[in-house]
Amino acid sequence: MMLLVIWLLPLLGAIVNFAFGPQLKRSAGIIGSALVGVSLIATLAEWAPATTGAGATLGVRQHLFAWMPGFDFGLLLDPLSLIWTLIITGVGFLILLYSIGYMWSDEAIARFFAYMDLFVFAMLTLVLSDNFVGLLVGWGLVGLASYFLIGFWFFKPTAVAAARKAFVINVVGDVAIMFAIFIMFAKIGSLSFSAVFAHVPMLDGWLFWTCTFLFIGAAAKSAQIPLHTWLPDAMEGPTPVSALIHAATMVTAGVYLVARCWPLWNASHEAQLLVGTTGAVTALAAAVLGIAQWDIKRILAYSTMSQIGYMIMGVGVTAYQAGVAHFFAHAFFKACLFLGAGIVIHELADEQDIRRMGGMRARTPVAFWAMFAAVLAISGVPLFSGFFSKDQIIYGALAHGHPWMYAAGIVTAGITTFYMFRLFFVTFFGTYRGDLNPADVGVEHPEEPTSHEPQHGATHPPAWIMALPVAILGVFSVIAGYVMIGSNSPWSRFFRPVFGFEKLPPVAISEIWTSVIVLVCVAIGFAVAYWRYATPEALADAPARLRAETHRMPRVLVRLYYFDDLIDLIVVKPAQALGTFFGRLFDPMVIDGAVRGVVSLSDAAAERIRDWQDGLLRVYALVVVAGAMCFAIYYALQGAAR
Amino acid sequence: MTAAFWILAVLLVASAIAVITASKPVYSVAGLLAHFFFLAITFFMLSAEFLAVIQLIVYSGAILMLFVFVIALLSSGVAPFALGPNRLPKIAAPAAAAVAVLLGFAGYAIAREPAITPRIVASYAGPVGAANVFGSVADFGRALFTTYLLPFEVTAFILMVAVIGVILLAGESTPYVPTRKRARIVERQVREAIVRAGEE
Amino acid sequence: MMTANYVALATVIFFIGAAGVVVRRNPLIMLMSIELMWNAANLLFLAFARAWYNNAGHIFAFLVITVAAAEAAIGLAIVVVVFRSRTNVDVDEVAILKG
Repeated sequence: MMLLVIWLLPLLGAIVNFAFGPQLKRSAGIIGSALVGVSLIATLAEWAPATTGAGATLGVRQHLFAWMPGFDFGLLLDPLSLIWTLIITGVGFLILLYSIGYMWSDEAIARFFAYMDLFVFAMLTLVLSDNFVGLLVGWGLVGLASYFLIGFWFFKPTAVAAARKAFVINVVGDVAIMFAIFIMFAKIGSLSFSAVFAHVPMLDGWLFWTCTFLFIGAAAKSAQIPLHTWLPDAMEGPTPVSALIHAATMVTAGVYLVARCWPLWNASHEAQLLVGTTGAVTALAAAVLGIAQWDIKRILAYSTMSQIGYMIMGVGVTAYQAGVAHFFAHAFFKACLFLGAGIVIHELADEQDIRRMGGMRARTPVAFWAMFAAVLAISGVPLFSGFFSKDQIIYGALAHGHPWMYAAGIVTAGITTFYMFRLFFVTFFGTYRGDLNPADVGVEHPEEPTSHEPQHGATHPPAWIMALPVAILGVFSVIAGYVMIGSNSPWSRFFRPVFGFEKLPPVAISEIWTSVIVLVCVAIGFAVAYWRYATPEALADAPARLRAETHRMPRVLVRLYYFDDLIDLIVVKPAQALGTFFGRLFDPMVIDGAVRGVVSLSDAAAERIRDWQDGLLRVYALVVVAGAMCFAIYYALQGAAR
Repeated sequence: MTAAFWILAVLLVASAIAVITASKPVYSVAGLLAHFFFLAITFFMLSAEFLAVIQLIVYSGAILMLFVFVIALLSSGVAPFALGPNRLPKIAAPAAAAVAVLLGFAGYAIAREPAITPRIVASYAGPVGAANVFGSVADFGRALFTTYLLPFEVTAFILMVAVIGVILLAGESTPYVPTRKRARIVERQVREAIVRAGEE
Repeated sequence: MMTANYVALATVIFFIGAAGVVVRRNPLIMLMSIELMWNAANLLFLAFARAWYNNAGHIFAFLVITVAAAEAAIGLAIVVVVFRSRTNVDVDEVAILKG
C-alpha cells in the first residue's frame, strides 16, 4: 500500500495542477512540492522493509495487475530503487521548493509544477517497476516530461528546437530498449526482473545484443557519446528543470538500468567493455568540452555528462555500488551547482554567460558558499562527497582489469577540477563585467535577455525559499560521502544483498595510491585554474584575458567535436533528401500518378465499354445465360475428372 | 416407369418449345398450361404428391390466370404487341449460336457423368397416397411446420411485400397526394361550400 | 439411374426457357419462359429429394413456387405500368436505362 502512496502522490499533484492551474496560481507550487514531500516521508517510512530479506524476497513488492501470461505488473522497492526513490523525492522536493521562488513571477507556474510532478511520477514509475515493460513506460514518460519542460518557454524558438532534439534522440533509446525487450520475451518468455535475471543463460547468443540494445537506451537517456548532443541544448529549460531532470535524476536512468540489469552485465564481458569504454570516453571528452564553454549552465551540462560517464564506467566495469555511490553524491552536488547557478542567473535577470558575470560573491553569498562546497565535492577534494565515490570508480576500473579506463578517469578528474574552478573563479571573483561592452569580454552575439517576468518587481518571493534548498544541498554535498568510507562501509553493506560481495585480488596500485594520484591531478587542475583566472593580476586583467581566451579557443572544441555536424551529415541530410525525394518526386509522380492514372484509365475504359450498357433486356439475359453455361460446363468437367 | 418417363419427357420438351415459339401470348399460355399438367404428373412419379397438387392449383389456377387477365387487359389497347425493329446487336446471333454449342457441350458432359448414386438418408417409401410415407402430405406438412418454420414464415413475408409492391406499382392511377395536403384541400372545399351557402 | 435422366430433362427445359427469354420480345412470353426455368429447377429439387429420400427438396420446391408467384405478380404489374405509359410493350423499345 505504501508503495502506491509513494508512487501516486506526485501523479495526484500533476492532475490537480493541470486541472485547477488557473485557480491555484502560486499555491500550485505549494501543492506540487508538498505532495512530493509526503512521498519522500513515505519512502523513508518504507526504509526498513525495503532493505530486509535476501534474494527473491528482498524488498517490498506491490502487485498491480496481470497482463500477458508470463508476468504481472508490479512495483518493487529494494535497496537499489530505494536509493533512487530517495533522491527523486528528496532532491526533487528541495528543487520543487526552490522552484516556488524561481518561478514566482511566471504566469504559467501551475503548468510548470504540473509537468514537474508528472516527471517525478514518471521517474518513480521507472525505478519502482518490477519488470521491463513498466520500466519502459516510465522511460518514455520521463522523456515526455523532459520534452515538456525543456520546451517550457515555448515562445523561444531555441527552446522548442532543443525540446524536439531531446525527444527524438530519447526515442531512439526507447526503441532500442524495446528491441531488447523483444529479445528477452522471445528467449525467456517473461519480462519481470526476477524471472529474466534467473534465466540469463537462456539468452545464450543474444545476451550481448540484449545488453547492447539496453545500453543504447541507457546512452540516449544518460547523454553518452554519441547520443549526447541533446543534453547541452536541454539547458534551454528553466534552471530547476536542469537541476532535477538533466542533472540529478533522469539522466542517471541509464546508470540505474545497467545497475538493475547487473546479472546480464556480469554474464557478458563484451558488454562490460562496451559500456565501460563508452563511459570513460564520455567522461573525458565531455570534461574537455567543459573547458570551452562560456554559458554557466552549459558548463554544468558538460560536467553532468562527464560525471555520468564516470557512473556508466563504474557500472560498466561491474563496480556497481561505486557507480551508484557516485550517482548518490552527484545528485546532491550537481543539483546544488545548478540551483546556485540559478540564483546567480536570477540575480542578473537571466544572464547566463560567465564572461558577463564576475564578483558575484558579494551579491549572492549563499550561492557562493553552497557552490564552493559543491565544486570541492565534484572535484574530489578529500572529506567532500565526490572524493569517496569517484575514487571508488577509478579504483574499481583498475581492480576489474581496465587500466585504460583507470587512466582516463584520473585525467578526467584533473580536467574536472580545472573547469569547475574556472567557472567558480570567473563567476564569483573579480569585479562585475555585465555593464561592460559585451565585445570587450569576447561576447560577440550577446543574447537579448528574454525576460519572462511580465510584472517585474511587483512581488518578491521570500529570500529563504531559494536559499534554503541550496544550503541543504550544499551541506549534503559535504557529508553524503561519509557513508562510503572503507571497504566495509554502511554503503557497501547496504548494497551487499543486491549486488553481492566480490573479493577482488590486489592490483599494482593500491586504493590509497590511487587516491594520491587523483589528488595530484586535482591539485594540478586547481593550480592551473588559479593561475589563469584567480591571481590578482588575472582578476585585474579579466576582460582582456577572457576576450583573448575566446578568440584563441580551438575550433574543434567550439564546434563540440563537430558532433552536430556529423549527425547532420549522417542522419539529418539523408533524411531531408529522402523527404525531398518523396515529397517532390515520389508522391506527385508515383502516388498521385497512380491515382490519376486510375482515374484516366477508368475514364477511357468507360468511354469504350459504356456502349455495352445498351439497355436491351435480352442482351443482358444472353450474357447471364452464357455465364451460367460456363458454370455448368465447369462443374460438369469437374465431375467428369473425379 | 421408364417408358412413362420418356413419354413425359417428350411431352414436356414439346410443350416448352411451344411456349417460346407461339405467335400470340395466348397460345403461349396454352402451352404453359400443358407443360404444368405434364410436370404435375412427373411430380407424382417422384412421389411428391402434395407438390403435384400445388403445382396444378397455384401455377395453373392462379399464375396462369393472372397472365390471361393481363393479356386481356392489354389487348384492349392499340396494337399492344406490335413489334418495332429488332434491336439486338449483330453480334447477338453468333453469340447465341455459341451459347447453343456450349449447351450441347454441357449436355454431353452431363451425359458422361457416371450414374448418381443415391445416398438414402431415410427410407420410408410407401404406396402413393398413404400417410407417413415419403412425400405424403403429412410428411411434408410436418417438415414445413417444424424444421422449416422460419423459412416458411419468411416466404409469407416476401409474398406480402410482393402484394404491397404490386399495389403500389399498378394500383393507383392518380398521382399520389399526401394525406395532410388532401385534408387541406377538403377543408378549403368545405369552407367555400359554406361561403356559397351563406351567399345564397 | 433415373436421377440422371431427370437432370438431363431439367437442363433441357431450363435452356428452352432461357432461349425464350433471349429470343422473344413480348414481355409476357418472356415471363412465361422464366416460369419454365423455375419449373426446371423445381424438377431437379424433387428428383434429388426422391433420390435421397430427403423431403428438404420438397420444402425448397414449395418455397420456389411461392417466390415464383411473387415474381410473376410483380413482373406483370411492371408490364401493366409500362403499357400505360406507351403504346406497345416491346422490350426493345423499353431501353432508356443505358450508358
